[in-house]
Amino acid sequence: MAFDARAHWQLILGDASKFKGATKFIGFELIGFDPLAGWCEASFCLPPEAANPAGDAQGGFVSVILDDVMSVAGSIVQEGPAMSPTLQMVTSFIRPVPIGVRLIGRGEVIRRGKSAIFTQGFLKLDDGTLLAQATATCLPRAMPG
Amino acid sequence: MRLVGVDQAAQTVRMAFDVSASFANPTGAVQGGFISAMLDEAMSTCVIIASNITMTAPTLEMKTTFLKRLMPGPASVEARIVRLGKSAAFMEADCFDADGGLVARASATAIPMPFKRL
Repeated sequence: MAFDARAHWQLILGDASKFKGATKFIGFELIGFDPLAGWCEASFCLPPEAANPAGDAQGGFVSVILDDVMSVAGSIVQEGPAMSPTLQMVTSFIRPVPIGVRLIGRGEVIRRGKSAIFTQGFLKLDDGTLLAQATATCLPRAMPG
Repeated sequence: MRLVGVDQAAQTVRMAFDVSASFANPTGAVQGGFISAMLDEAMSTCVIIASNITMTAPTLEMKTTFLKRLMPGPASVEARIVRLGKSAAFMEADCFDADGGLVARASATAIPMPFKRL
């Protein structure tokens, strides 16, 4: 039977109660995705543990969100259950990112090559204000097991 | 996080981390963004210490290269100042696993600002 990417990823990404680890920590909630076009959008909410002394998100945790949503975009464009380990990522911190506030993250595949996938990500407030953006290079990999 | 070494003259800091399993991705390895968080923390602390706690430096841009996977557990980070100027600061940091293997390297640009205790 052909791999049904939409059904497979909806099952994995759609149920926030099953999330563990990094995805749970940043409050990932799926908004939408498209395996053919190669994008994924989700809302996030950072916990108080992610704050810097000024009370905003420490930059690394902003990278956590963008890495997460870009890795999903890089995974869903592959054939079959896959992952996309990040080789390199550049983040621009455009505005302070608030804690405990609904954030919208979007990851997009720029190019899906045979041996490398290039992605970009954007983090915005609900009203569309751009907070941070990133680009990454990752590898296409079948999910082990 | 535990600060394990500071060399104010050389403008370097060394930090030890015990990375929680709750920071793992679905494969069980530490999600890359959390490695960036440790590197960012060490690089920012480096500016505070190098300036003798007169300056802090919000990160404008940061690049991380992920060389090897890191499993939850002990890890360490070494950060150094490349240049601490009036209007820009440039930092670098390396992350090591428990065996001392180089896991990731980062570079960052930041704006030095007067340190305010909040």
